[in-house]
Amino acid sequence: MSRDVAVIPSVGDRWKRLWGEIVKNRWAYVFISPFYILFLVFGLFPVLFSIYLSFQQWNGFGPMELVGLKNFAYVVGEGGKVFWKSILNGVLLFFMYVPLMTFLSIVLAVVLNSKLVRFFQGYRTMIYAPRVTSMVAAGFTFRLMFEAQGGLFNLILAYLGLPEVPWLEHVWWARVALCVLVVWGWLGQNMVYMLAGLQTIPRELTEAALIDGASPVQALFRITIPLLRPVIIFAVILSTMGSFGLFPEVQTLTWGGRPMRATLTTLVYLFNVAFDDYRFGRASALAYVYFALIFVLSLVQVRYFGSEE
Amino acid sequence: MKRQIVSWFTLGVILVGLLAACARPTPETVEVEVPVEVTRVVAGTPETVVITATPEPAAPEPEKPSGKITIWGWTAAIRDTLEATDVFEDFKEAYPDVEVEIVYYSPDDVYTNLPLAITAGEGAPDICYVENSHVAEYVHMGGLLNVTEHLQPYLDNIVEYKLYDCEKDGKYYCVPWDGGPVVMYYRRDVFEAAGLPTDPDEVSETIATWDDYYEACRTIKEQTGSYCFAHNKANNWGRLYEMVLWQQGLGYYDPQTGDVSVDSPENVATLEKLGLFWGEDLVSDSLEWTDPWYEELGSLDQPIATLIEASWMDVFLKSWIAPGTAGKWGVAYMPTFEEDGVRASNDGGSVFVIPEQTQNPEAAWAFLEFAMLKNEEYVLKGLAISGFIPSLKSTYDDALFLSTDSFFGGQNTYQIYADVNGEIPRAGIYGPHYAMMNGAVSVAIQRYATGEATAEVALQAAADEIRANLE
Repeated sequence: MSRDVAVIPSVGDRWKRLWGEIVKNRWAYVFISPFYILFLVFGLFPVLFSIYLSFQQWNGFGPMELVGLKNFAYVVGEGGKVFWKSILNGVLLFFMYVPLMTFLSIVLAVVLNSKLVRFFQGYRTMIYAPRVTSMVAAGFTFRLMFEAQGGLFNLILAYLGLPEVPWLEHVWWARVALCVLVVWGWLGQNMVYMLAGLQTIPRELTEAALIDGASPVQALFRITIPLLRPVIIFAVILSTMGSFGLFPEVQTLTWGGRPMRATLTTLVYLFNVAFDDYRFGRASALAYVYFALIFVLSLVQVRYFGSEE
Repeated sequence: MKRQIVSWFTLGVILVGLLAACARPTPETVEVEVPVEVTRVVAGTPETVVITATPEPAAPEPEKPSGKITIWGWTAAIRDTLEATDVFEDFKEAYPDVEVEIVYYSPDDVYTNLPLAITAGEGAPDICYVENSHVAEYVHMGGLLNVTEHLQPYLDNIVEYKLYDCEKDGKYYCVPWDGGPVVMYYRRDVFEAAGLPTDPDEVSETIATWDDYYEACRTIKEQTGSYCFAHNKANNWGRLYEMVLWQQGLGYYDPQTGDVSVDSPENVATLEKLGLFWGEDLVSDSLEWTDPWYEELGSLDQPIATLIEASWMDVFLKSWIAPGTAGKWGVAYMPTFEEDGVRASNDGGSVFVIPEQTQNPEAAWAFLEFAMLKNEEYVLKGLAISGFIPSLKSTYDDALFLSTDSFFGGQNTYQIYADVNGEIPRAGIYGPHYAMMNGAVSVAIQRYATGEATAEVALQAAADEIRANLE
């Protein structure tokens, strides 16, 4: 019996083998090519071009001017104040709506998954429906409802005998209004994540706990939520990016960050720098600083919350 | 063989799908139809509308331009005003080989699509309608056609301030249409109840300075309980502040040197003067262009006493904001900041620009010259229909400027607009960086109004931000 001897191919052979594989499976590559072509053009190229742009000064029309690290220095100088304010807003908004929305989505998912409620599919659809509406239309509508004099919410408050709230006229109430809009719009999405996560939890676990005498609430907190941890982390990371990246909500509800930039998110600010100030280089540099921050934040979240036994 | 055909077909479908995904969506286009329905202003049209200017027959040029031109603009200005003047039919007669296509975009869409088209190098219209507040930005970005030579014969007839925003390095890049001369609209019924004069000349005399205005507002509040004017705090857009700065020849920057002047002592003093009205609760908190603001203007029992705004507000009040208050308004000159100051300012105004990309610059210029410069007829009609005050000085001699307006109690309002229009000083408000400067200063005004900072501190912060931004 001859022993198989491993033949180490040369580099040239390896490329030939690779090419042969590609040709053999060429139709597979053709069929996935639309995604890759679009990704290269609209995903990868802008990312790389943005790095290049961040060292230039460019108004989108004229010639580009190489300015080195000046755009990055903008972040630490006087001009960076608005950028850091938008980051602060992102952090504040995160704490204002993410824990609430995530918890609510878990509860709703559990309730609507357990078939306790009749017409649970109907409720699921209703809760998810805002996700497929135009956020722009919703933003304008909510703005009308949040009007201090005569808006729907204040009318309801007055009817209930409660004091009226200066919703969009006050720094903190404007943030609350924005959170209301965001939770309305995105609760369904998070609920869907949790529902999907719940499908991976075997029923027997919860049933066993209930038989052993645990209350449904205990079962929720001791069994379901810990098992949903990966999904929760996923949803929270998306929500983190979301709270810095709220765009149509801010543009339509608070005229792009009013009052006094209390609701200005980083994404809106970057958009303004690029398309209002026509500073594409500066916007690119700021975008990369923003990316670095989010990346670190996400890393921290995964490390800290992800790796507990 | 069959499998191969299916495979190639599928590949073709995928590629077509890809191409379709990359296609640029075309805007809704509307061809100009002859004739056009005209909806005239309902309430308070001028008593006598006599347009004496006869259109000069377009002098046949050695070679008349031909081809197709596209105009971008929004419906209020193009469809409801320009088209209603019949200029497109007359232009077609004079230049039969030029085909005009009109594309309606909302203001936001114009201001998004025009710079995109310019920076992309294609897709721009032959003529675009933009406001004065935005045109300087496009002039400085580049990509607009230099029309200095064409404009030369008409320069003397155009009110000076209209061209400041269209000028760069001694060249002009636009054709002006309407202006935004600022006046003080006031409610005669409220003034009467407060014991103030109601005749416009007397009002202008009594409320001559902002100190007089302050006193009058206190009287109005005491006697009638009405607020003097609307000036929102937390979401302030900064427009009133701009109008008062413009009147003094001040601005966000010095028009002569270009230096940022947001934190100058004069700018601070101006803001503090407006602050007096907030301090004594003399002004309402309604934000312009929202329902509470419309209600105040149209109200019969709890109206707002005055409104300092440009002449184009005239038609808005009459037609849709406050048609039920016909006869109750008057128009006076705006109060000055200091004694013997100029009683004129500007808010708004619009122009037409020709992007350099145009394939048909001669036809584009021919239209703008025909509609805006050579013939007075169309801009005068624009005034009668929509209150667009012309920028051509010679039009002010027309009999239209002798007409009276029942909405304003039988007053000759056009004359006031024309007077003010001719006096508007040069100021550093509009300019290539207007949006950014207005944004920063609005925040400062909001902070001052809500008591978060003093005027000096707030404006200083805004000035620092603007200077850093401009580096």
